[in-house]
Amino acid sequence: MTQGPPEPAIEVNDLTVAYREQPVLWDVDLRIRAGALTAIVGPNGAGKTTLVRAILGLVAPAAGQVRILGQPLARVRGEVAYVPQRGTVDWDFPTSVLDVVLMGTYGRLGWFRRPGRREREDARSALEKVDMEAFADRQIRQLSGGQQQRVFLARALVQDARIHLMDEPFQGVDARTERAIVDVLSELRSRGDTVVAVHHALQTVPEYFDDVVLLNVRRVASGPVPEVFTEENLRVTYGGRVPFLARGEGPGAPASESASGPALDPRPDPPTGARE
Amino acid sequence: MTSQDWEVLVLAVVVAVTCALPGVYLVLRRMALLSDAISHSILLGIVLAFFWVRDLNSPVLVLAAGATGVLMVAMVEALHRTRLVKEDAAIALVFPALFSLAVLLISRHAGDVHLDVDAVLLGEIAFAPFRRWVVGGIDLGPRALWMMLGILAANLLFLLSLHKEMKVATFDAGLAAAMGFSPVLLHYAFMSLVSVTAVGAFDAVGSILVVALMIAPPAAARLLTDRLGLLLPLAAGIAAGSAALGFFGAILLDASIAGSMASAAGLVFAGVLLGAPERGIVAEVRRRREQRLEFAVRMLLIHLLNHEGGPREAEENRADHLAGHLRWSRDFARRVVRRAVREGQLERRGGEGLALTPLGREVARHVMTR
Repeated sequence: MTQGPPEPAIEVNDLTVAYREQPVLWDVDLRIRAGALTAIVGPNGAGKTTLVRAILGLVAPAAGQVRILGQPLARVRGEVAYVPQRGTVDWDFPTSVLDVVLMGTYGRLGWFRRPGRREREDARSALEKVDMEAFADRQIRQLSGGQQQRVFLARALVQDARIHLMDEPFQGVDARTERAIVDVLSELRSRGDTVVAVHHALQTVPEYFDDVVLLNVRRVASGPVPEVFTEENLRVTYGGRVPFLARGEGPGAPASESASGPALDPRPDPPTGARE
Repeated sequence: MTSQDWEVLVLAVVVAVTCALPGVYLVLRRMALLSDAISHSILLGIVLAFFWVRDLNSPVLVLAAGATGVLMVAMVEALHRTRLVKEDAAIALVFPALFSLAVLLISRHAGDVHLDVDAVLLGEIAFAPFRRWVVGGIDLGPRALWMMLGILAANLLFLLSLHKEMKVATFDAGLAAAMGFSPVLLHYAFMSLVSVTAVGAFDAVGSILVVALMIAPPAAARLLTDRLGLLLPLAAGIAAGSAALGFFGAILLDASIAGSMASAAGLVFAGVLLGAPERGIVAEVRRRREQRLEFAVRMLLIHLLNHEGGPREAEENRADHLAGHLRWSRDFARRVVRRAVREGQLERRGGEGLALTPLGREVARHVMTR
């Protein structure tokens, strides 16, 4: 056998997802490099969340297939961690921060087995990594948005996965949380893990990520940031209105997008409950 | 109390606890009204199974009723998935269809069916002691009690052994699915449990009041704790207390036991809603009044500081002027002054005159510079 290129962490072939015959993702082919940080960017309604959920097997594709580490998802479920958008869960749920992080260990525990002392220790050290150890016994209702995001990140860390799929981890977080997330991402990369994150703030893509996927229902381009993250590709992805370029970093872009575009970042951290 | 009364009381407590346990997750999953739908639609299963086995005490009835409850949930979901009706409308469409079919069947065959619509709706726990479970000549007690204990055991087994699975599926269904815990499977298993519980409670309290027992104690417990682990025992305790309260209330008033139990559950919830230490209405009102008073004290201190040493000090800094100047009622102004004096931030100067203490001056400056 000849030596081919290294096996991708995630391989998506001809993936089409539709809601009632309305395609959300149209024939997407994708290879996510192992050991790299990859951003998925694209305008609203581009199918970014759907792509992540399809990779995780949470939405049924109309066509196509996904392979993770060369295998079907069912065989490698334990290798994949998921950080959903934090708005998708009920933060009034009666539970503590530590308990939410412990949920990350449920996958490897399997059915019926309860987390024990080892899992608790893992959860505490994950909370330390995101600078939240002082909040372990706090009710989740009392967290701010950035704190919620860090709890989710800690939960992903205890999953001990090799591939991390994150849906807008930087959305609506404070500067401190943004730094904490960046630190965690680089730690994951140094461990050899693969991270795929849906990302909105275009101007931070070159700084935070190695690779980028430009998505707008179809895959517009994907690959290393220096090669793929070009004005031309962005223009195709965003239909000519590139919020990133509107910030004056590129020539000839309309300026009107800067006020409402998704590139405004860092955004203030909206409190969702009482602060510390 | 006769031994029959005791049996009814024990049964009432067991029914209430059995209902409250799955009720905790109904409340957390925001599916409280689904319990109403389930408790009504299971009637169809009971009626059809009764026509088949001709025995109201047969376990077949429980299974058939449980199956109709799950069928109802599946029909609601199928209807909702068409996206032609919203979920609440789907619920309101499906369960009356099943329930009315059952009512039709009962009334059509009223002569030879020992089910009447009143008993179906309201239940009659007082009759439970008459239906005994006798094995080999030994009287083991009311059948309903044994059935309920069986269902209670099933509820405990399910909720305790699948505690973490239910927790993650309720809090974050996406994560649960990504980890291979099928939220759909758990949902249907849980709905079967709710259906079976409703069937068991049905005999005792009927199909309407069972909703009160499923929802009121967990809703009250939710106001008292933020810990899931405490929620289940607390809801069970409140349910047991409500059942006992309702039972004695019914004896006192010579009224329906089921109605009295449900009323008691409602009253207990109302009491908790008012009096819960942190989330209750009284605590909330008190907290708000406290904040208002505290803010008013600061306002007063700043007012006094502004006029201190000024030309109109003698006129402005008087207790009897506050009502006019700060637009406070006399009574409120008096309370604010009294509080500021008590906290050592204010002194009275000969009758109505007010003067800041050094502490009061410092507080006022600090507040203003912030």
